[in-house]
Amino acid sequence: MKFLGYVFWAAVAAGAAVCLGAIAILRGEHINSMWLVLAAACTYAIGYRFYAKFISARVMALNDKRATPAERLRNGHDFEPTNKWIVFGHHFAAIAGPGPLVGPVLAAQFGYLPGTLWIIIGAVLGGAVQDFVILFASMRRDGKSLGQMAREEIGKVGGFIALVTVLIIMVILLAVVALVVVNALRGSPWGTFTIAATMPIALFMGLYLRYLRPGKVLECSVIGCVLLIASIFGGQWVAESASWAPVFTLGAMALAIAVIVYGYLASVLPVWLFLAPRDYLSTFVKLGVVFMLAIGILFARPELQLPAFTRFTDGTGPIFAGKVFPFCFITIACGAISGFHSLISSGTTPKMIAKEWHAWPVGYGSMLLESFVAIMAMIAACVLQPGVYFAVNSPAGVVGATPAAATATISSWGFPVSPAEMSELARNVGEQTLFYRTGGAPSLALGMAHIFAKSGGGPAILGFWYHFAIMFEALFILTIIAAGTRVGRFMIEDLLGSATGVSRRGGWTGILITSAAIVAGWGYFLVQGVRDPLGGINSLWPLFGIANQLLAAIALCVATTIILKMHGARYMWITCVPLVWLVTVTFSAAWQKIFSPVPAIGFLAQAGKLSAGPQTAATATLIFNAHLDAVVCGILLLLVAVVLADSVRVWSGILRGTVEAEIHEAPFVPSQLRPEEL
Amino acid sequence: MRRLARLVLAILREIGDENAYSRHLAAHGREHSREEWRRFSEERLAAKYARAKCC
Repeated sequence: MKFLGYVFWAAVAAGAAVCLGAIAILRGEHINSMWLVLAAACTYAIGYRFYAKFISARVMALNDKRATPAERLRNGHDFEPTNKWIVFGHHFAAIAGPGPLVGPVLAAQFGYLPGTLWIIIGAVLGGAVQDFVILFASMRRDGKSLGQMAREEIGKVGGFIALVTVLIIMVILLAVVALVVVNALRGSPWGTFTIAATMPIALFMGLYLRYLRPGKVLECSVIGCVLLIASIFGGQWVAESASWAPVFTLGAMALAIAVIVYGYLASVLPVWLFLAPRDYLSTFVKLGVVFMLAIGILFARPELQLPAFTRFTDGTGPIFAGKVFPFCFITIACGAISGFHSLISSGTTPKMIAKEWHAWPVGYGSMLLESFVAIMAMIAACVLQPGVYFAVNSPAGVVGATPAAATATISSWGFPVSPAEMSELARNVGEQTLFYRTGGAPSLALGMAHIFAKSGGGPAILGFWYHFAIMFEALFILTIIAAGTRVGRFMIEDLLGSATGVSRRGGWTGILITSAAIVAGWGYFLVQGVRDPLGGINSLWPLFGIANQLLAAIALCVATTIILKMHGARYMWITCVPLVWLVTVTFSAAWQKIFSPVPAIGFLAQAGKLSAGPQTAATATLIFNAHLDAVVCGILLLLVAVVLADSVRVWSGILRGTVEAEIHEAPFVPSQLRPEEL
Repeated sequence: MRRLARLVLAILREIGDENAYSRHLAAHGREHSREEWRRFSEERLAAKYARAKCC
């Protein structure tokens, strides 16, 4: 039996090596997407079975005889021992956002290979390790948050900086995902109607759950899903109606204002009325679509049309500027490693873990599944013809302001595409045009529609699948905006409270003012993105990637400190290797974003170039925005440099014996949980 | 297959807070009612949406 096990795992390892080798070596011909799927699945299996088990047994010394906080502090609310697969599903639903879908689509401008390798290797050695170690640390510390652990293990500075960094990330994240939605819905009456319809659907669900059938969340969500599908058909009718289509055909600025108003209202309305039902609905739809996409890829097994590498690895990419190193590694954050996950791993999840060994599938396994979602997004982007992919994702400021100019520019790069081809594709999906739809969502929707249509229905229902995918992306992005604005509001109240000593979370005046402050913050960056001649994504997505990866660096500092206190320097490399890589990547990316002499990359060079040209009010705003982006980037660098320096001080003290390696774990209590209780 | 369906349903109920509500009723020895759901959901949602959602 043991021998068969060896043979099985040797075969899986060989499968991983062969598939990774094939996708890395094959050139000049289209490869099938199954190579990517198998390479990822086999590598994940090896990482999960051997590396994660090694960390569980040797480094964490997980012990099922030790009572977890879920058992010791059981209260029927947050702390509750729960079946491991239920916690797995819950945790995965919490960590899976738009990041693993949008990032790989944007990074596909370098070709499929750099992004794919980073997603697979980054997740196995970095992202999943971060999530797992932070989950373990929080579980051993009564479910403490990342900020609390940073304060305890590194010092007060670390905890405060973690809070400020999260607030900055939140502002940039909300702006960039709002821009993705704006660019997806611009000039699209079908999409705009469908998304507008989700507002009354959410309100109906809120009232249904409150007054008609309290507690029946699944039942209510099924009704919501049926209404959502109906709204997609309604959108098609609106788009074809001569009188209604103009009402729902909005420009980018009008949509940006609508999203800003939406964010504000969602933040101040009672949570049960709007945000909660919307969140239930978007989570279920998200899980359903991820499942459908996996089935679709397995069924259709499409060929990748994008090459392994494109010419844009040299930094001249039209979607965002910058070389493959370091920009590929900050463009794909969620899916490979995401600092935000450390907040979830130290949030609800550690309070639900029934047995310590359950942290293995939940912490490490969930991240691998998220990474697989990123692989699927990469496949969806790469099944498009390269010319179409670049025509959809490139801003007018780079490729030219007319379809003829844009297709001529893109064709001159070696990716042939014609205006007629783009017109036909737009007609097939029920859009007026697909040019300049930066942000990744429309090209992802096109790729998904292509896969779904190939799996069943054919080109006749391409329009339905395209708008289904757009609805799915916009639905949960707008839910993140609503929830994020509310959380940002609380953070401002907390920061003001700790600065003034006045009690936080006050009455209506406080709610209205702090909501306005957080909405003004991300709304400013959103409008900046809408006005940006390079499409906004070029500036904002790298900024978001840098911020998210810097939060991961903070989480890995905390994780390294904890491992160091437990074992000395012996196992430090487990978190130190991804930390060193992240610091190298993010610091070099941030440095280039600020100081690169190339105006498309460096904010200061961009401001300098604008200053040298003709001066108008619009130019003055663009110059100010470029300086602002540089300052935000600089602040993030400084904050993380402080945490890093503080951590290195603590590590060196522990290794030299001048700092006490105090482990702040809760004391051992034997578990008395019976299997039937799960 | 039936076990898998039960597991999927349990995950959906956990995500939809229905499991948490059942636990709440059991822990406090209360019966389901509109007021009880309101009390539970207000407390649950206040805690849930004070935390950042992942990107």
